[in-house]
This record gives sequence, structure tokens and C-alpha cells, in this order.
Amino acid sequence: MKKLLVIIIFAAISIYGYSQKQTIDSLKEALENHEGKLSALDDRVLVNESDLSKLNKIKVTGYIQSQWESYGADLEKTNGYNNTFYIRRARVKFTYEATDGVKFVLQPDFSTGNLVLKDAYVVANIPKLKAWTLWMGQMNRPDYEVEYSSSSREVLERSRYTTTIYPGEREIGAKLEYNGIKIPLLFQLMVMNGDFTGTQAKDVDSRKDIMARAVYSIKMPNQGIGIDLGPDLYYGGNLAKVNKYVKNSDGTLDSLNNVWRYLNKNWYGGEIRIYADVLGGTSLKAEYMSGINSVASTTTGTRAQQIASPNLYNNFTGYYIYLIKNIGPKNQAVVRYDYYDPNNKLAGDAAGNSIYYKTWTLAWQYYLNDWIRITLNYIMPKNEINALNPTDKKDNVFTVRLQAKF
Amino acid sequence: MKKIKSIFVIAAVALILVASAFMQQAKITVKGSDTMVILAQKWAEVYMKKNPSANIQVTGGGSGVGITALINGTTDICNASRPMKQAEIEKLKGRYNTLGVEIPCARDGVTIFLNEANKVSELSLKQLSDIYQGKTKNWKEVGGADAEIRLYGRENSSGTYTYFHDEVVIGDYAATVQSLPGTAAVVNAVKKDVNGIGYGGAAYAVGVKHAKVKKDNGSTAYDATAETIGKGVYPITRFLYMYLRNRPTGETKKYIDWILGPEGQSIVTEIGYFPVK
Repeated sequence: MKKLLVIIIFAAISIYGYSQKQTIDSLKEALENHEGKLSALDDRVLVNESDLSKLNKIKVTGYIQSQWESYGADLEKTNGYNNTFYIRRARVKFTYEATDGVKFVLQPDFSTGNLVLKDAYVVANIPKLKAWTLWMGQMNRPDYEVEYSSSSREVLERSRYTTTIYPGEREIGAKLEYNGIKIPLLFQLMVMNGDFTGTQAKDVDSRKDIMARAVYSIKMPNQGIGIDLGPDLYYGGNLAKVNKYVKNSDGTLDSLNNVWRYLNKNWYGGEIRIYADVLGGTSLKAEYMSGINSVASTTTGTRAQQIASPNLYNNFTGYYIYLIKNIGPKNQAVVRYDYYDPNNKLAGDAAGNSIYYKTWTLAWQYYLNDWIRITLNYIMPKNEINALNPTDKKDNVFTVRLQAKF
Repeated sequence: MKKIKSIFVIAAVALILVASAFMQQAKITVKGSDTMVILAQKWAEVYMKKNPSANIQVTGGGSGVGITALINGTTDICNASRPMKQAEIEKLKGRYNTLGVEIPCARDGVTIFLNEANKVSELSLKQLSDIYQGKTKNWKEVGGADAEIRLYGRENSSGTYTYFHDEVVIGDYAATVQSLPGTAAVVNAVKKDVNGIGYGGAAYAVGVKHAKVKKDNGSTAYDATAETIGKGVYPITRFLYMYLRNRPTGETKKYIDWILGPEGQSIVTEIGYFPVK
């Protein structure tokens, strides 16, 4: 009996021990399985993180500006209608930061019937000189009103002189930029083709134009005032390729000895912006540019035909002044006065069609949020009166715009 | 046509002006620096107890997030552990036509966290720069054990990340730096990693060793204390800031004045930072 009991106890212990070993073995196996799965998950997470970090280097931004416009009577006669809905801009900007300090930017404009490349450039930080960058490609000319994005600008369109002397805003070239970290100075020097109007891929002559701009910022934090100011320069030329006749600023006609001569484009000017924390934000912005501008004639044919459409060599003056007042965080009232005289040496009948324009623009902005903005804009150009332009044209434009940014 | 347009414009202007005039600020939102979030929450809590009509909402997310929120109008006050960059000020100018208002509200000594078992007790700025650039990879190169240095840091939206980069690292951060969301996470990581090193605000340095910091090999090494920061001898001292779009008025001004006053500044010390003056 005792022996049987011992045998039974022994057998029970053995069975229990064996089952424990089985449980431990199966637990070990389960643990190893889970470790393997975790390790595999770890690898997948690393791969996903790596892919995500590449995707994070691509930024896509853009904006759509759709509006309703209403025109004065003379514009109605020209257009054949006095109001229209219009997609002014529909832009998408792709920015890819390839590596620290190197960025690619591509920006097409998709507005109706008008697919155009606006920006295509590379920006690279100069090694060990953090404040210096080198840009190459198609980009904005270095001018405040040109560079100030249409999505941020307080009135709907740039001033007349800016759009005339910088057609298309962009140029193809290379730019060196200094943006001071400890010194509040912006310096830009651009070498470019100089004849870009928005569509031609290459230069039309061998001479390259140069633009230079410097802006120094002064801060008076106790007074809540900031001032940015500096000079702007343009040095370049247009090639008289086909027509040797040149009409000067004073109206006289000159003849170049032969064609293939450069006509200068030398401009000088400056800019100033004053920001004041007065009853909310207020700013006064102004820019001035003057100098000799040239337009190359494309007229061939007879001598008489060439004389009738000569190259132009004119002294011009252009400037604008903005007053912008923020009212609370969501509203903004704007007044702008801009002046452009394509030939400041002649006035009245002698000016012919080179008349000056004085333009008032009133605007009101309402920011629904950081992405949606409504603008009411009223532009009132007043032209010089002379024999060829006997009245002030009825060319005021009222616009209501809705802008969505992303 | 002109008359109708004029009436339309004037009516729209009047409506918006009247609406704006009736808008009252319901609460004060404060957003930004994770370094400052505990301090900002304590300020808000104590102020609201003393001023039951005040309603102050505080969130973190990093100095970069706070500055973005200031620019896009979704916060009234931005907390930042670094100065605003020129590009950010330009965005503020463009949108609000002001330079913004910068208010230093406390001082901090950016502390270097080491595991308590780490033999190293002091590092120079150059050594820290080389470590965080990945040029110095082993603790034995700086007087420690023969072990790989494991780097912990902050995400690039963090003001502390930017400040540490601009003032100490100077070059590019090593690719091996593990980015963590918040100084508390950095401290936690270093606590668990004998070979870890991290950096962050002084208020978080609990449970880890602080490395003394010296300007160069020939200088004295200092710990971040009220005395060394007050005298300006601790090499990685910075201001902590509040930024606003415009000069503060009303309830916001009262709150900021209280923060800069004796009560608010005593809370700064209580949390582990240092008064602004």
C-alpha cells in the first residue's frame, strides 16, 4: 500500500513537472515568436519613417483667386462687356528641400486658358556662409512690390509702373542674396537675361542686365516702430536689332550708324516701409524708380515705316505710396496712390501717347481665417489729357475677390 | 453705376467696423514653447484663481508652433524659448503691419542632462558641439567610459532645438540624434540610458545629472543656478519670451503685467527657472 502510494505520488510529480516544462517551453516559444514579430515591426517602422522623412521634404502650397469685376464705360467699349467673373490666379507651388541648405521650387499658374510657368529655381546655401544664398533659374526680379506675393498683397494688382517696367515679374538668371542674421540687412544682386516678358525661354541678345537692392531694417521696439529702407538699381540694355532709328525722351529722332547697338536701361531708386503699432498695425510703404528706359523696335520695312515705329529711349518716373491700416485681427483698409510717366521730359501734346497716369486704389480686406480672404478693390486711374487723349478715360474697375490659400 | 458701387463699399465698411467694435475678447489663448508650458500653466492657474473672470487657455506644441499660431491669428500670446527669426517677423509685418511685441518673461539655463552613472561631470561648448555634430562618438574622448555616446534632442519645431543649434552646435546636428517631443521625454530617455546625453530647460532636470558647462578648456565650468545665470557666467543662458502681435491692452495687459510683477516672477523660481531681472 505504502509502495503504491509512493509510486502514485512519484508519477503525479513527474506528470506535473513534465506539464510545467511543456508550459515553460510553449511560453518560451510564444515569446520568441513575439520577439520576431516585434523585430519585423521595428524594421517596417524604420522603413516607413525613412519614406515619411523623404515625403516631409516636399511641401505643396498654393492659392486660388476668383473674382467678379465691373468696368467703366471705356473699358466696356474695349472689352465688349462691363462685368465678368474671372479666375485671376490659380497657383500651386512645389518646394523640395533636397538636403539641408538646398531647395528646389516649381510654381505653375493654372488660370483659365493660361498655363504658365512662373517659378523654377534652385536655392542653395553657400557652405559656411549661412546668411548667403545662391539662386538660379526663373524667379522674381529683386524688387519689393514684385517679390511681395500676390497672395499677401493688400491691393489686388501691383502698381502700374511695376507692371510696366517688370513685365511678368520674373526673370531668368542667377541671384546672390545676403539675409543678415545678426545684421538686419538684405542685399540682392541678380544677373539676368533682362528681356523676359513671360514666355521666351532664352535671351534675345548677348548683354546681361544687373539688378541690385539693399534694405536695412531699423527697429524701435519701445515706440513700436520699424523702418525698412534702401536703394534699388538697374543696369542693362536692349539691342536695336532691326531698326536704326531712335526716338529720344525729348522727342528728337536719332539714327544709330547701324543696327546691333545697345540702348541703355539704367534705373535708380529706393524704397521705404514704416510699420507702427498704432491702434493695431499701420504701415506706410513707398517705392520710387526713375531713369532711362529703352524699348527695342521690331519694325523692319521701309525707312518711313521704321521712322514711324522707332526704338524708344525715354526717361521715365514711377512711384507708389501705400497706407495700410489693420482694424482688429480680421480687417484691413488700404489706400494706394501710384504714378507712372513713361516720358518725364515731355508733357501735354508733345507727349503723344506717352502720357502719365495717376492712380488711386482703395481696398478693404476681410480675413475669415488664415486661409480665406475677401477683398473689395476699387481702382481709379486718371490719365494725362492732350490732343491724342482728350478726356480722362472711364476705366475704373471695381472687383470683389475671394482668395483661398493652402 | 459709380453711386451703387460707392454705397456698396461704404455699407460693407460700416458693417464690418460695427461688428468689430462689438467683438470682445472672450479668453486669452497662450500657445507655444514646451519648455515654458508648465510655467505658463502655473501662471494661468494662479492668475485665474485670483481673477475668476479671467479665462486663460494654455497649450504647448513647441516655439515654432506658437509663432505660427501668432502669425495666423489663432493665439493671443505665443510662448517661445528662442527669439523670433527675421523671416517670421517679416510674415508678421506682412499680415499685421507690426513688428510684434517681444516680452522677455524669465531666464533659463539650458542644462545638459547626463545619466547619474556617467563619469563625465563637465563639458566645454566645443565638446558639446562636437558631440552633437557626431564628431565625438565615444565617451572616452571626453573623459568618460569606453562607450558609444547616444544623443537625445528635440524636434525642429522646438525653440530649444533652434537655440541649442544656433548657440552651441553651430554646425548640423548628427543624423543619430533621437528627436523627442518635449524636454520631459529627453530627461526620461537619459535617465534610462547610461550612455545618453540630452539638453533642455533647467526646470525639467530632475532625476538626471547635470553636466557643468565651460566656455572653453581653460575656463571654469558652471552649473545652471540662479547665481551663475544672474552673473551671466553660465555659458548657455537664454531668455524665455512671450510674443504678441500688438502692444497688449485690457485683460491681456493686466495678465502680462502680473507675470512680470513679483507674484509672477516668484512662480518662475518655484517652477525652476530664473526671474527675468
